[in-house]
Amino acid sequence: MNETVLAMTLAAAVAAGTPLALAAIGELITERAGILNLGVEGMMLLGAVTTFLVSLATGSPWIGMAAGALAGAGLSAAHAFLTITLRANQIVSGLALVIFGTGLSTFLGRPVEGMPLPRESRLPRMNIQLLQDLPLLGRVLFQQDVVVYGTWVIAALTAFYLFRTRPGLSLRAVGESPATADVMGLRVNTIRYVHTLVGGLLGGGAGAYLMLARVPAWSQAATTNGIGFIAIALVVFASWRPWRALLGALIFGLALRANFALQAAGVTFIPAEFLAMTPYLLTILVLIALSFSDLRRRAGAPEALGVPYAREER
Amino acid sequence: MLGLERRSDVPAWIYVAVPVIAVLLALAVGAVFLVFTGHDPLTVYRVMIQASFASTFGFADTLVSATPLILTGLAALVSFRVKLWNIGAEGQLYIGAVCASGIALLIGESLPGWANILMMLAAGAFGGMLFILIPAIARAWLRTNEIITTLLLNSVALLFINWLIFGSRSFWRDPAAGQFPQGLRIPDEAYFPRWGATRVHLGLVIALLAVVAIWFVLNRTRFGFRMKILGDSESAARYAGVPVRLMVVAVLLLSGALAGLAGAADVGGFSRRLDPNSLAIGMGYAGIIVAALSRLNPGSVILVAIMLGGVRNAGTALQSLPERVPMEIAVMLEGAILLFALGSEVLVRYRIHWPWSKGPALDASPEEAEAT
Repeated sequence: MNETVLAMTLAAAVAAGTPLALAAIGELITERAGILNLGVEGMMLLGAVTTFLVSLATGSPWIGMAAGALAGAGLSAAHAFLTITLRANQIVSGLALVIFGTGLSTFLGRPVEGMPLPRESRLPRMNIQLLQDLPLLGRVLFQQDVVVYGTWVIAALTAFYLFRTRPGLSLRAVGESPATADVMGLRVNTIRYVHTLVGGLLGGGAGAYLMLARVPAWSQAATTNGIGFIAIALVVFASWRPWRALLGALIFGLALRANFALQAAGVTFIPAEFLAMTPYLLTILVLIALSFSDLRRRAGAPEALGVPYAREER
Repeated sequence: MLGLERRSDVPAWIYVAVPVIAVLLALAVGAVFLVFTGHDPLTVYRVMIQASFASTFGFADTLVSATPLILTGLAALVSFRVKLWNIGAEGQLYIGAVCASGIALLIGESLPGWANILMMLAAGAFGGMLFILIPAIARAWLRTNEIITTLLLNSVALLFINWLIFGSRSFWRDPAAGQFPQGLRIPDEAYFPRWGATRVHLGLVIALLAVVAIWFVLNRTRFGFRMKILGDSESAARYAGVPVRLMVVAVLLLSGALAGLAGAADVGGFSRRLDPNSLAIGMGYAGIIVAALSRLNPGSVILVAIMLGGVRNAGTALQSLPERVPMEIAVMLEGAILLFALGSEVLVRYRIHWPWSKGPALDASPEEAEAT
């Protein structure tokens, strides 16, 4: 593999990992509040189709992206109401979001299925001066679009927020022990609502980015392709830490792109379907490996993840 | 905010009200989107009801759609009962179908039809169990989160059946198929018998027998009793001498077997070959809806599955409308019904204090309570 192919593959992996990173960081924030939202795939799909329709109508990818993120937040609001206020089962509610989001996005996208977005409503590339001329790294990291850089900023901000600010501390307290947080005077339900919505914004944004930068046209089956589910696994993989989620997303981005790279390199004896399975199988292997020994103790799952909080029943 | 107070007794009307409210609200949401996209919701819903419930053949097709949902609903039910979350019925169903069609093709005409059908059912159940084995063992011994492992395996299974039919010259693929690859037909003898001129097939009988069997296991056997203890409290189960790890594996295998049976039923009774397009329509995920709406009650699974089967079946009928309403409205309605059912479920467990009603809500903070 010569250097150009390597650079192209790595650059593509960085881009492919970006929606995954966005969705995973969003899910991470939600889970830190103790809310498990399995509906990422649904939020991404709805975000993607909304982005497509709005970008097409307005001609602006940015308005489209904002609309897509809001659509994701809208779905997560339903999850928040059901699981926080009504204390419904978080697993079932999350899956309901997947089913509802898939159905609704396909329904809304049917008239435009397979239609490509015009060039002006796609994301422009943004090369970083000076850095883009670095050998290899310049090509891989600094000739991307603005959302890629934005995702790094979001990862940094999330890490700072979680571990270096007071609201971040409150958030972690709510995820670890809502009863204690409540006694401390924190508004458990409000904090959970806010962070579930933020998770939805990022999930919808991830779908929007897929639509604007990654896939050529709207198609329900091909747009997200299970990325939302990998994002959920990635949170465990990253043991609920933003930087690790970003790194994990890049590794998965590479696995997602390895397919094309291997084909380009003339490796054809492994069927494409089996290569496409690797990110899923890899995740399962890592999860099982993480469960061995005391690694898991330090893995850092929020203690109250998935448990509804009812003040009068604690 | 709403205040919730735990109910000590549940009035009977609520059990009827919950599903009715859920369906009505879901239809209302569907109507909003239909109007938004320029369709007349009343016409759409009338066509849907006519297509699925108003004629003998329509209702027969509803039953055909309901058949796999009963089985995947039971699959979700048994695992949810012990607070294990098998989200992988979808993938287990595919692998069940792979094994069932494989055995039917392998046996060919060397055995009488009934023997072939029995082997298919066994193979289907085996395939489902095989596909959940690793998540089950990892959950039992290492406490690896089964939600994520089973969820991810669904994608693996889908890629696998696509490879068998579209990506390779496998044993399952019809060698005579030209441009459009498809599965090889199973021998005629292995077709599930059908009821009269309808498409209702043996799979429905098997699904109903499975309901009875699961009810019996849950309520009349030691295994079911242990499931109940385990579902209530794992530590209690451990102190009571229940072999928790083996129970976890056994329950998940049972769940996988039921999902695999649904795959066998699709092969034998419906598509008669391994057909990814016929399998990958979310029957496994729908099973989770069925289980949740049935409130984990085997008998109710039948009714809920028929209702959802009707919605799914009606989706196809919409294609025949002149304005061509996208059939995905059915999937959307399914999701909406589940969301609203979850929401109205709160009525069963709690009494609601509305923000505008008199008296302080129970979970209001002291200051708020004083203020009211």
